[in-house]
Amino acid sequence: MNLTLKIWRQKDAQDQGGLVEYQVENVSTEMSFLEMLDVLNEQLVAKGQDAVAFDHDCREGICGMCSLMIDGQAHGPDKAATTCQLHMRRYKDGDTIVIEPFRAKAFPVVKDLVVDRSAFDRIQQAGGFVSVNTGNARDANGILIAHETAEKAMDAAACIGCGACVAACPNASAMLFVGAKVSQYALLPQGQPEREKRALSMRAAMDEEGFGHCTNEYECEAACPKGIKVSNIARLNREYLRATIVSD
Amino acid sequence: MQAAEAPAQAAPCRSCRAVEFLESSIGKKIMVALAGLFLCVFLLTHLAGNLILFLGGPAFDRYAQMLESNPLLPLAESGLVILFLIHIALAVRARLANMAARPVAYQVYKGKDARTPGSSTMALTGTLVLVFIIIHVATIKFQVGGAKGPDLFGHVTGWFHNPLYAGFYVVALIGVGLHLSHGVQSAFQTLGINHPRYTPMLKKLGAAFAILIALGFISIPIYFGFFNRAPATMQTNGSAMPIGPIGGAQ
Amino acid sequence: MKLESKVPTGPIEKSWDKHRFDLKLVNPANKRKFKVLVVGTGLAGSSAAASLAELGYNVESFCTQDSPRRAHSIAAQGGINAAKNYPNDGDSVWRLFYDTVKGGDFRAREANVYRLAQVSNGIIDQCVAQGVPFAREYGGTLSNRSFGGAQVSRTFYARGQTGQQLLLGAYSALMRQVGAGTVKLHSRREMLDVVVIDGVARGIIVRDLVTGKVERHWGDAVLLCTGGYGNTYYLSTNANGCNVTATWRAYKRGAAFANPCYTQIHPTCVPVTGEYQSKLTLMSESLRNDGRVWVPKKKGDDRKPDLIPENERDYYLERKYPAFGNLVPRDIASRAAKQMIDEGRGVSGSLSVYLDFQDAIKRLGEDKVREKYGNLFDMYHHITDENPYRVPMRIYPAVHYTMGGLWVDYNLMTTIPGLFCLGEANFSDHGANRLGASALMQGLADGYFVLPYTLGGYFAGTKLPKVTSDHDAFKEAESSVNAHTNKLLAVKGKNSPSVLHRKLGHVMWEKVGMGRNAKGLNEALQEIPAIREEFWKTVAVTGTGEDFNQTLERAGRVADFLEFGELLAKDALTREESCGGHFREEHQTPDGEAKRDDEKFCHVAAWEYKGEGKDPVRHEEPLTFDNVHIATRNYA
Repeated sequence: MNLTLKIWRQKDAQDQGGLVEYQVENVSTEMSFLEMLDVLNEQLVAKGQDAVAFDHDCREGICGMCSLMIDGQAHGPDKAATTCQLHMRRYKDGDTIVIEPFRAKAFPVVKDLVVDRSAFDRIQQAGGFVSVNTGNARDANGILIAHETAEKAMDAAACIGCGACVAACPNASAMLFVGAKVSQYALLPQGQPEREKRALSMRAAMDEEGFGHCTNEYECEAACPKGIKVSNIARLNREYLRATIVSD
Repeated sequence: MQAAEAPAQAAPCRSCRAVEFLESSIGKKIMVALAGLFLCVFLLTHLAGNLILFLGGPAFDRYAQMLESNPLLPLAESGLVILFLIHIALAVRARLANMAARPVAYQVYKGKDARTPGSSTMALTGTLVLVFIIIHVATIKFQVGGAKGPDLFGHVTGWFHNPLYAGFYVVALIGVGLHLSHGVQSAFQTLGINHPRYTPMLKKLGAAFAILIALGFISIPIYFGFFNRAPATMQTNGSAMPIGPIGGAQ
Repeated sequence: MKLESKVPTGPIEKSWDKHRFDLKLVNPANKRKFKVLVVGTGLAGSSAAASLAELGYNVESFCTQDSPRRAHSIAAQGGINAAKNYPNDGDSVWRLFYDTVKGGDFRAREANVYRLAQVSNGIIDQCVAQGVPFAREYGGTLSNRSFGGAQVSRTFYARGQTGQQLLLGAYSALMRQVGAGTVKLHSRREMLDVVVIDGVARGIIVRDLVTGKVERHWGDAVLLCTGGYGNTYYLSTNANGCNVTATWRAYKRGAAFANPCYTQIHPTCVPVTGEYQSKLTLMSESLRNDGRVWVPKKKGDDRKPDLIPENERDYYLERKYPAFGNLVPRDIASRAAKQMIDEGRGVSGSLSVYLDFQDAIKRLGEDKVREKYGNLFDMYHHITDENPYRVPMRIYPAVHYTMGGLWVDYNLMTTIPGLFCLGEANFSDHGANRLGASALMQGLADGYFVLPYTLGGYFAGTKLPKVTSDHDAFKEAESSVNAHTNKLLAVKGKNSPSVLHRKLGHVMWEKVGMGRNAKGLNEALQEIPAIREEFWKTVAVTGTGEDFNQTLERAGRVADFLEFGELLAKDALTREESCGGHFREEHQTPDGEAKRDDEKFCHVAAWEYKGEGKDPVRHEEPLTFDNVHIATRNYA
């Protein structure tokens, strides 16, 4: 099939940027979306033009490197999938596809479709960990964790840090990402000693980065490639409120 | 670039937990939610009071007199104003921060159908409701635009004889309904109440509450503006009747 | 070049303890005076950087991705081994050691493997303490599952995302140190050279991938934790960004490269569908716990799988290897699949065999199967548009892991003093074939529990004069990096780097792949240099070196693959035996099993770079097996 792509091109962080139209021909339905972009880039490079920059790595939906707002949807039209898992069988001949970077003040554009998501690293640095030095651990079975609790913690821990929640949120809020991390540790006994400190400091770090406020529109949950639930946001609200009240 | 524009709300008093809370994204939303839920309680009592209009002028005016004569009324009214101010001020601040959180808008933004008509129009319906409240309080309480009848009942129903006023009332109340359709369940989520068993119920409750409030209030201008246009004076006779229990005024 | 393994003498059970005691210590107050550069943030890199910072060293961490959390360890699915013996099924440190040595087809260093088994339990404890949500039984204890090459259940897992969870654990430890200011993080940086001063590694040259700026970083030690070279084959289960550049450039500075021909072809991957395919996706080995592998008995049987009756199916792994069944080691399962396809009994219309879950679904119910493998099934469904709960998966082997890597001694130090190599990037523990769930174990063992000790020993026992990045060696390395970049930009040809990479991959897969023979290898040794020549004549790198340029990044990596591929083929040609993942068709038993030559090849082959255009020199480190009786592997 043949497609028209309207891709956001932006030389660097300072550049204004804008949509540029491209034609790609002979796209097969078996291709993944990123492979379709590979084809476009091979054509551009062969013509001596600058390839479209986009982040990608594992191409199996786990590293969280790929992003893209495809026709106004984070990671494209599929539910519970990353852009690299999107296949061209979703499209038909003659379609026009608009491709933009994830947009948020906290995710400045690096080039074209590549954005800087290091804000997530900084939030994690504020408290997304259990303070246990290597070698300090006791026997793993010394901590009993109910099957259901472990499963719930795992549901939250499945976050790949891709930032689709921020991209899809009308307010560019990072609450689903932070909620998932805070939840994982709040649910597990290992997270208890630093429970209040974590909720307070991760919240502060999140606001400092300039993410928006959550207005419970749940677009984050719909866009999340790992199906992280907004109940984690409720837990973050709860944890933060609780920490505010109980900690000195 | 983000470091240079560190948010202005970076807590002015770091040691002070309460200020930090109120300045925080989550704290602001929690306050908006709490104020919103209290306002829902007010809406319910206000609706109950208004429905007395259907019982006729004497009953309504007795109810009004009872309210007016309550010495705690000024206190309740100021409380209400404060709730509104908290709700509005913090929501506006959150909204401004949210607009700043995405300085370059998407060329195409579609989402994945999670938003509802209510959730995506909160700012719009909120503004509409605010304008409505100002007009409502000005015309009904402070009688801007003149008295429309000899007593409160006449005044209120008199306004509804104005199709423009009644129409605006209906539109504004649809706005209230939309606002509540998202606001109620959203408030629970913001307060951290989300449970696989109770949340679906709370969502239904929120929707039912929104419909109840909107339809309840809308029924009044519809009835008095379109179906019962008896001149206000006819009904005022009863206002001389001795004050008795509201339920007994039939 | 002398290969000194520095393996401690004495009984193997005591050797690590004794060695740790013998290593000199660095005074706590002095630790912060040492700067350690850690390249790569996968399991090995993150865990090492975090652990060293906790000890007080001054650490700088580098990764090519935008965040350290994205290193390809994240994609490991099935699990991590440990000798906990929680299921009470007879496991022990000794048995894990034994299984790993045997699984590696007797081509690994015994002492290293024993140490790996010894520290395996500590890894699980550490990860649990970090909050890694491993699967749990209803009573709250940890769950285990089985993996290939073992008859005990010793694999700990977090659904099909174990690598992700372990990496996020190590990443969280790393972030904690970054937050504390003890680790300086440099993301979107690619290491392009090692700086060697007076024979000792004292720094690295990196390119800032956003600005294009070439930076010099000095250090007292350099740790390469940069993963494997599976992408030499173009198509592999590796992430697109995985490359050999860091280790290859270290090789060119004097680090010996060991056993490059040991590549692991994973039996259960989603088959290739088209020419433009950019990667192959692994379906975790854990699926072989419940999935049954089969092909039609009849050649060219093109009926739909559900129309092929039970008695016309060949569950060939269960037939050929009744003791281990579907859980034979990877090299064996891969070769068996290839054999079936070569016999013309593959699934009609594609190069693949079936992995069937119907029995498991009948036995356990669909929900239980979903709980165990849900994300893998979803992944398969996304790629193929087929629902594996209804129709059997189609799978085929694909390049997955590389056992070869930089040669390291028992302290994980390469032949360049001060340059250490951890995780998949080194050659040390898996011999000629890695068992499932052992990569995560090794990466974390190296980072959490081995290197933090041995690095201290190096610092305490070595006099390191102060250096700065103004040293001539830094200048020389930086200008050689710049020259390489400019050379790539100057070609201005018509072929994008991926076109040439694909060409290399084709030769590698066809001639240096699952089955290798002298004829094919010799052809490859002709063809690879030809592609390399073509590359330097026709590669198209648009843009400049002074900004974010993914084409340039790619071209640099492909250039290195084109050099490295030749060494891989050369190693495969010289190793005149079949062992583990290295299968020489000339050396097989009558029923097609690998035939080792312990007489001539019971050694590690380590290659020394001798300069451009010169033949590398092959060194041997003999392997002795004092504890595990060397024998032909038998999984039947």
